[in-house]
Amino acid sequence: MAFVDLKDICVSYDGKTNVLEGLNLQINEGELVSLLGPSGCGKTTTLRVVAGYIDTKSGDFLVGGQNYTKIPVHKRNFGIVFQSYALFPHLTVFENVAFGLKMRKMDKATIEQKVNNMLEICGLTEYKDRLPKQMSGGQRQRVALARALVIEPKLLLLDEPLSNLDAKLRIQMRVEIKRLQKKLGITTIFVTHDQEECFSISDRVAIMNGGVIEQYDTPENIYAKPKTEFVARFIGFENFISVDRQDDGTYKALDYIFKCDNSDLKQAKITIRPDDILIVDEASNLNSISGTIQVRTFLGKSYQYEVSTPIGNLIVNGDGNKVYETGETLHLYLPENKIVLV
Amino acid sequence: MKKSMPYLFLLPGIVLLIFFLMVPLFAILWPTLFPDGFSLSAYTSFFTDEYYIEILIRTIRIALIAAIVCIILGVPSAYFISRCSAKWKGILIAISIFPMLTNSVVRSFAWINILGKNGVINNLLMAIGIVDEPIGMLYTEFSVLIGTIYLFLPLMIMTLVGVMDQIDNDMMEAAESLGASKLKAFIKVVLPLSVPGILTGAVLVFTGALTAYTTPQLLGGNKSLVLATLIYQRAMTLNDWSGAGVIAAVMIIITLVVMKVLNLIAAKLDKRGEIDA
Repeated sequence: MAFVDLKDICVSYDGKTNVLEGLNLQINEGELVSLLGPSGCGKTTTLRVVAGYIDTKSGDFLVGGQNYTKIPVHKRNFGIVFQSYALFPHLTVFENVAFGLKMRKMDKATIEQKVNNMLEICGLTEYKDRLPKQMSGGQRQRVALARALVIEPKLLLLDEPLSNLDAKLRIQMRVEIKRLQKKLGITTIFVTHDQEECFSISDRVAIMNGGVIEQYDTPENIYAKPKTEFVARFIGFENFISVDRQDDGTYKALDYIFKCDNSDLKQAKITIRPDDILIVDEASNLNSISGTIQVRTFLGKSYQYEVSTPIGNLIVNGDGNKVYETGETLHLYLPENKIVLV
Repeated sequence: MKKSMPYLFLLPGIVLLIFFLMVPLFAILWPTLFPDGFSLSAYTSFFTDEYYIEILIRTIRIALIAAIVCIILGVPSAYFISRCSAKWKGILIAISIFPMLTNSVVRSFAWINILGKNGVINNLLMAIGIVDEPIGMLYTEFSVLIGTIYLFLPLMIMTLVGVMDQIDNDMMEAAESLGASKLKAFIKVVLPLSVPGILTGAVLVFTGALTAYTTPQLLGGNKSLVLATLIYQRAMTLNDWSGAGVIAAVMIIITLVVMKVLNLIAAKLDKRGEIDA
């Protein structure tokens, strides 16, 4: 049985429309799971339900077999890192980290030892007497993390913790988070809208849209085999072509025939990443199409072309070896194993 | 020429202050120190007169209790208001500053109607049979206190709402997640961060209560004199302008001392830091 179990969670702010629609999510012990989606998809709401800040309309939330649905926030023992860090500005770094332990009425020596140990792990020992305003964004982030971890939480909840950091620090911090999470073995839920960030540190990813989870799988599987058009679009697929399934298992759009790996599915669209379309010298009659370049944009390592074809405009990334001009005719090949059906 | 221009704009204000505030103030205080040649006798006779000392202590006591009660009533109200949505915040602030919108005479008459011998409270108590004859609530220190608190609570609430609006709700939630109940989170996080506002509000209420005239005059009468009403009595009824000047000087000094002390405390306790990165 899963360690964390969200069962048919419904949440509504106004009593009429549901923000979460019967959400189900299972997380194993020690796993780092990300909730990924555009703003308004319900990912933060889900996290706040888990944290206990929002009451559910219906559904159950279990951790380790115990029902947490009605347990108030301060009795849940979950560590939470906020986007704003929410450090207490009137307390020093040490006092901030010690706050949770003081609330648990631990004796002074134990608190001192635990806090110092956690500051050590997070590389904050030299800053322990500073106030939050005297620290940089990355350091505050670490204080927030230390404060959430020192209480030895059952769950660690991270609400877009990296979005206030600059790009370089963000990568550094996400490695740090992953390292700490694995070291301490804490089951973690990570909310983000950044696909790269989420794929890089998660064991599993739940992609959310409109209050439901569209796909819940490992980053590798989601990247290679998105299940729905929404997921495919969200993780960088373009070129959605409506197709009809034929008796021999191939798919047909106008007179063009496409063959793809998992052709047992009977669905109506094929999709492929701009990177995976090959520009070839001659069009064949399978998985191929020709068209003229409408727009060319420079991406740095290569050019991206918008190619007008009989089945619609396709976005193609060139390989950088040869540059084509606007108006030129391109022959495109869509490799069988790169096409995904949604 | 250009550099002195900004100072030129200060001139009207300075002239106004000098001729209409500093000069009259000086004209009142000068005779208290120099009746004919320098002498502190006016002050020593004030501070040795038990009657005056009683009034002085009563005034400070009323101002102090009013400030404390305003803190106790104001902090939870202000916190509640600051956590409301913008729409409700507007409505609640309008309601809470309502006492300041009425004329002080009208306001005090309302309290006379409530606290008087034939007032609402006494009639009610007698009707239920808790008391046999009306309790004398009016023209006591109690009635002055009620009127003063009623008048100055809005000031405290407004000051505190301003400060508490700055406290990010994430901090309350963070405290809760770390094991603090809502009450404990309030005490450990919101309260310390509100200290500057509480002290500013306390200064406003204290100095306001110390110098208020209409409310203690109408609700305290001649039985519960305070410094402000005493000044009026000295100057207008007894035509003792020197005596009134002494009291005025004492009031000014108390106000300045209290403001200074509270400002020092505020500077010491204010540990708010910026949240932004």
